[in-house]
Amino acid sequence: MSSEVAQRATECLGNLPDYLGQHVQISALALAIGIAVSLPLAILGVRSRTLRWPTLTAASVIQTIPSMALLALFFPVLVGLSHVTQWALGVSISALGFLPTIIALTLYSMLPILRNTVTGITGVDPAMTEAARGLGMTSMQVLTRVELPLALPVIIAGVRTATVWVVGIATLSAPIGQTSLGTYIFSGLHMENWIAVLFGCVFAAALALVLDQLIGLMQSGVSGRRSGRVAAAGIGLAVVIGGGAILPAFQGILFAPPEGQARNEKPRAGEAKAERTYVIGSKTFAEQYILAAAIRDQLADHGLKARLREGLGSAVVFRALASGEIDCYVDYSGTIWVNQMKRETIPGRRAVLEGMTWWLAREHGIRCLGPLGFENAYALAMQRKRADDLGVRSIADLAEPSPNLHIGGSYEFFGRPEWTRLRDAYYLNFAQRRQFQATFMYKAVATGEVDVIAAFTSDGRIAAYDLVTLEDPKGVIPPYDAVLLLGRRGADDVALARALHPLVGAIPVETMRQANYAVMRDTDTKTADQAGAWLRREIGVAPGKNP
Amino acid sequence: MIRLDSVSKSYDGGTTWAVRALDLHVREGELMVLLGESGCGKTTTLKMINRLIEPTSGRIEVDGTDAADRNPVDLRRRIGYVFQRIGLFPHMTVGENVAVVPKLLGWPKPKIDGRVDELLRLVDMAPGEFRVRMPRNLSGGQQQRIGVARALAARSNIMLMDEPFGALDPLTRASLQDEYRRLHGRLGLTTVMVTHDMTEALLMADRIACMRDGQIVQVGSPHDLMTRPKDDFVRGLMQTPKEHADRLESIFQKQEPHD
Repeated sequence: MSSEVAQRATECLGNLPDYLGQHVQISALALAIGIAVSLPLAILGVRSRTLRWPTLTAASVIQTIPSMALLALFFPVLVGLSHVTQWALGVSISALGFLPTIIALTLYSMLPILRNTVTGITGVDPAMTEAARGLGMTSMQVLTRVELPLALPVIIAGVRTATVWVVGIATLSAPIGQTSLGTYIFSGLHMENWIAVLFGCVFAAALALVLDQLIGLMQSGVSGRRSGRVAAAGIGLAVVIGGGAILPAFQGILFAPPEGQARNEKPRAGEAKAERTYVIGSKTFAEQYILAAAIRDQLADHGLKARLREGLGSAVVFRALASGEIDCYVDYSGTIWVNQMKRETIPGRRAVLEGMTWWLAREHGIRCLGPLGFENAYALAMQRKRADDLGVRSIADLAEPSPNLHIGGSYEFFGRPEWTRLRDAYYLNFAQRRQFQATFMYKAVATGEVDVIAAFTSDGRIAAYDLVTLEDPKGVIPPYDAVLLLGRRGADDVALARALHPLVGAIPVETMRQANYAVMRDTDTKTADQAGAWLRREIGVAPGKNP
Repeated sequence: MIRLDSVSKSYDGGTTWAVRALDLHVREGELMVLLGESGCGKTTTLKMINRLIEPTSGRIEVDGTDAADRNPVDLRRRIGYVFQRIGLFPHMTVGENVAVVPKLLGWPKPKIDGRVDELLRLVDMAPGEFRVRMPRNLSGGQQQRIGVARALAARSNIMLMDEPFGALDPLTRASLQDEYRRLHGRLGLTTVMVTHDMTEALLMADRIACMRDGQIVQVGSPHDLMTRPKDDFVRGLMQTPKEHADRLESIFQKQEPHD
């Protein structure tokens, strides 16, 4: 067990230069822009009361938007903007990762800086500003020589608050595709890798603390005229920010894992004259991480370069493919059918696949290369003993006992149309419904905290926890065939299609379950990379390498 | 030197007047005190001279030119100003406070440094000791000495003082009053000083302008006002210090036999 902890910690450490470096970069840049925008805005607000109220109110309103939502909100906005720039200038901007992160973090940093600057300047003793005017300072000189220096401690206190917030919130940028210390936290959460979660939290907290203290030192040095302190703080800040800027270049050099299992680019055999790097997306659960790793390795074996954009939200990943931000990912037929095509009737597995393939090509220029061979559908699942006690075999049997039962599901599930249809078709009326992150959902049903869960059929934990899945005699739940989707740029790419074709129809659900379980179980846990490699060997698409 | 011609100021568009049709002529080298109770318009009058407050109507002449024609910032740099609440900048050293106006005027650094030391000596503060001190480490009296030095820094020969010694303890106040009076003569300054302290006015002024309700009731030397007060208001004003002196004298006389 302890050697496993050590192994996971070593893996985490291997990604530290990249994750920490990028975290510092986005935080520092967002703060710099935040200060550059907020200070003049606050000064205008001090001078003109008509401007002050709307500015501060807007900043307060932004603050009330949940961080996660604010980060996600900029994705569709930027996608729209990208269409405009593409049309007007022939340049498309990336709607994922860096840009929305910087915009959202900048907006978040503004309120404390704005408010403290306004408070600081309006709090300057009127005797000081009168003296300054009386001695013959222009209003600009009053501002720069008297008001700002006297308000400085209050302004810097605002910058410190903003710094702590931004460093913390920057962890939430992982689901929109920005690498940061949050990548540890989110992938750790989805993969049940608590070491990684802890790693992300500890480093984010430490970074916030260090920056906060350095800025505090800077302030006390400035107001106490201690040039030594100012210099020390300045050097400290320069080291942190400069270090952040160059750290990612040391990825794979510093703290490199012993066997050179660098994550994003493995040493390639032979034909490495790839012209472009394909971007492979993944959603936020283990199966997606494993399949993304398998696809990357598959491309690598065909001499194609690829990198991963992992942990994207379900809606974000589809739009990213449609807009060309990513080239390839795995989705599920039912998800496209219900969420994107907004269909209400379920014509059957084949019809859904064909309808979806045709619709994707026509509406978005997306090519569906084909189903991978397994389904990852929703299924209501219960503990075997509980189901036996209640005499429940199919969802229809739940109608009667449901008012005394609790149901658990993912955040997404209860918002999906099939839940409504399921409820209406089978007259379900549960006493309580609770939303969980997948990991906790399985634990909750295993411990009896909830009676029924909306499980995923390819999840290894169904077998591991000895759950039974309930039949759906009325066929309400749509089929969820895993399908390999290629974006606009990849749709006509013969090399890409040829490299990925061996995966089509090749993955049985049992193999997928085993791979999923390998990364989720508590002992002898595998990484997504290892599970992806195992999967490829298992289905016989990997060239004859031995384990 | 300074001439106010029918100057008025209203803050509410003419409903009430802080200063009404005021005429005043301050001669070169004179120390003119504006005396009156709080709210009589004396501070408003003072601030209109360097355009910290713009008059509603009337004309103000400073050094032979119409103040309204001059750039207010430039005008203020040419006129020394000592503030009621001293107003030293807490984030600057004593030396930097004194150097504010010369810096604004763009003097070369050696000239500024020399001037700062000269001024510190002028107000009896050893430059080596005080130049680098922060204002918060000085006593009230020391702070206002720096306030005076700062007002003098750009060699302006006109000084405006708004109750400059009001916040100081009596002993310090008395010695600063004496010292300022000497400086005023030695440097050939023209000073307009606002106060509500009758004794201070009598001890320092060449002439006193007694103000009430935004108007000047009487202008004259302390002796004139004492001996020929124009009305009961001026008589009342002048009476107060005299009564104090009489009461003090009677107390001393009663106590003499015990000595």
